[in-house]
Amino acid sequence: MLLSRVAESLYWINRYLERAENISRFVEVSEAMSLDCPPGSAEPWLPLIDASSDREYFDKRFPEKKPDDVINFLIRDRLNPNSIISCIQMARENARQIRDVMTTEMWEQINILYWNMQEGESIWNKPRQEQLSEIRRECQLFYGITDATLSKDLAWRFSILGRLIERADKTSRILDVKYYLLLPSLDELGGVLDELQWIALLRSAGAYQMFRKAVQNSIKPNSVARFLLLDPIFPRSVRYCLDGISNTLKTIDNSPSNENPSELECMRGLLKAKWSYIRIEDIINDGLHEAIDSLQMDLNKLNDLIQEKYFIN
Amino acid sequence: MKNMFSSYQPKNSFDEYFKDNVNSAREILIPLLSSLDNMGLEELNRNHSAAKKLLLRHGATFRLNDTGLKGTERILPFDPLPRIISKDDWVTLENGLKQRLEAIDLFLDDIYNSQKIINDGIIPRELIESSEGWRPQMIGFKPPLNKWCQISGLDLIRDRKGDWHVLEDNLRCPSGVAYFLENRLVMKNIFPNLFSGRIVKPIDEYPSYLLKTLQELAVWTDTPKIVLLTPGIFNSAYFEHSYLAQEMGIQLVQGHDLVCNDDYVYLKTTSGLKRVDVIYRRIDDDFLDPLNFRKDSCLGVRGLLDVFKAGHVALANAPGTGIADDKMIYSFVPKMIKYYLDEEIIIKNVETYICHYQKDREYVLENLSKLVVKSVAEAGGYGMLIGPHSTTAEIEEFAYKIKKNPRNFIAQPTLELSTVPSLCDGELYPCHVDLRPYILRGKDSWVSPGGLTRVALKKGSLVVNSSQGGGCKDTWVVGK
Repeated sequence: MLLSRVAESLYWINRYLERAENISRFVEVSEAMSLDCPPGSAEPWLPLIDASSDREYFDKRFPEKKPDDVINFLIRDRLNPNSIISCIQMARENARQIRDVMTTEMWEQINILYWNMQEGESIWNKPRQEQLSEIRRECQLFYGITDATLSKDLAWRFSILGRLIERADKTSRILDVKYYLLLPSLDELGGVLDELQWIALLRSAGAYQMFRKAVQNSIKPNSVARFLLLDPIFPRSVRYCLDGISNTLKTIDNSPSNENPSELECMRGLLKAKWSYIRIEDIINDGLHEAIDSLQMDLNKLNDLIQEKYFIN
Repeated sequence: MKNMFSSYQPKNSFDEYFKDNVNSAREILIPLLSSLDNMGLEELNRNHSAAKKLLLRHGATFRLNDTGLKGTERILPFDPLPRIISKDDWVTLENGLKQRLEAIDLFLDDIYNSQKIINDGIIPRELIESSEGWRPQMIGFKPPLNKWCQISGLDLIRDRKGDWHVLEDNLRCPSGVAYFLENRLVMKNIFPNLFSGRIVKPIDEYPSYLLKTLQELAVWTDTPKIVLLTPGIFNSAYFEHSYLAQEMGIQLVQGHDLVCNDDYVYLKTTSGLKRVDVIYRRIDDDFLDPLNFRKDSCLGVRGLLDVFKAGHVALANAPGTGIADDKMIYSFVPKMIKYYLDEEIIIKNVETYICHYQKDREYVLENLSKLVVKSVAEAGGYGMLIGPHSTTAEIEEFAYKIKKNPRNFIAQPTLELSTVPSLCDGELYPCHVDLRPYILRGKDSWVSPGGLTRVALKKGSLVVNSSQGGGCKDTWVVGK
């Protein structure tokens, strides 16, 4: 038995931490990449804001759009609800609400990460690359602790659900934004591009090494898109996440009825089927951006249906 | 003492470590003092910082009186020098506390039912019915086991001679027990050497006894579903609520997680509504049920009191216990003990003047600069006048308030609380302390060995409340 409020908190703790982890990865990779960019070339910064859908808000607050503005906006701007510091603060607020459900180890991990990120605390005294990779490690440590200490009951399943939905969303966003940044025009689709940039994209999604293992040929846009969207065993690919979401939802709802499937059941089943059996050529032909856009809308819809079925009553 | 206490000077009050000066340690303290002396002040200070970090990591924090995500959050200041109570002293205190709570419970049952104590002229009816803690909704009601007060925390002090007194009865969701438990954890973690070779009575059983006490209230089932009801993360005692829920393995819930339906109370879960049997509520009576108490409360559960009165859920403590910790009713406790138990009181009260009575009022108004005046229904050190430390204007203000609403005030002589050496700005200094032991009453009574020692960590201050800048220290009941 799990309280609706608690299920919701667990779901959001994991979404927030996964979001913080992804942002730290994006910024970390972009910063490293920008050092390789000759002056005046396409800077990697603004697309990061696009990836989080916060462009309008950012432009209003920082009309000069300097790289430092972007970095601060994404990392430690308390007014930006999607900055790393805000995500971690929200995750901890949610964690405080449900301390009785989390294990002590989980709580201490999230609590210490929060205190380390307050002004003047240890994380900010390090070089930025170090800061970012430390934040990423700390978030991953939380997942590890969760998996190692929490019973595999409903509480754990709602945690996984939040983590996977956020991950599917972020992987698709990073691909969407970078793909068009890296392809100056559609004619060049499939052409030879600066391999460094593709490597950076893969690193942003935490996928470089596994991609290399899976794809021995040179790095091509289509194979990158295929890997990030459709790889069945890479844990950050959209398809892998959707499989996980579907299985988790099936276990949470352990009383299937012989009536018409609910809207949530339909949604998870259709999404899983679609992303398991579609081919990358078909996606590219019909428009990669359109496919990703519709995925994100589907994920939002899925979120709303979960909200409706389990969190409000 | 060689190093550690070389510059320590006990005050005029009763010092719990030393009789007159640092060369006359109390016998029970001698072994601890030699361990401390081996450690030295520098290491003590270093370990003190480590202790604070540990408390922060555990999240043993409270939020000051403001809301919003950016509210100031801090740990309760923690002092590393333990306060020591001998086993013999403790046995007396334990009996005294059990006696007091026994009488208070009989009193609660009496005034909400047959009202014998009023009819026999021991306590005037007007004093009962004018109390802010009086809940006429409870008249004629018998809670499970006929007990009203499962969890209480009484404030004790030692006077200049070292004699113990009860200063206040806290019978409505008293807090601090999590710090009591957490302090011991931190001491064991950071200062293990101080424990070695000593018999300090363990305190870890508190959550087990609390759970047992709560379980016993569900007289209708052997497998009760128990929850702890909190006002939420903005409450200053929230850390304690989550700590206790976790230690007992019960669910921590907020008002909107519960719903009353068909005379029962239910939890809203991901698989529908589930019945609840016992609620350890940490919300005051006023906010517990907007249908029966304050209409504007959004912390409680609509209709909860009706379910309680129908006998379908148990509440700890029962609504209405506040009548017995009214600071004026306090002065009647010795009479209650005589009346209900035919015994003499074991731990004395502090002499109390009742402003409601003309003779007392005149004395109080003439002697305000010597007395402590307290508002009868306030807690947390609010609504107080400490005569000797107050300005003429403050005294005049209180004189006006007393004349305007005499029922609302009592006065007591200024007490020099006993002192215990504590770290103040890195140096040892005699700081005033009180003690809050916790008493649990299910089928049996149980008293926590020791309790939360609150300490006024500001030089010269007498106020130990955390909301007023006080801190706390570990309390050891020592001896075979």
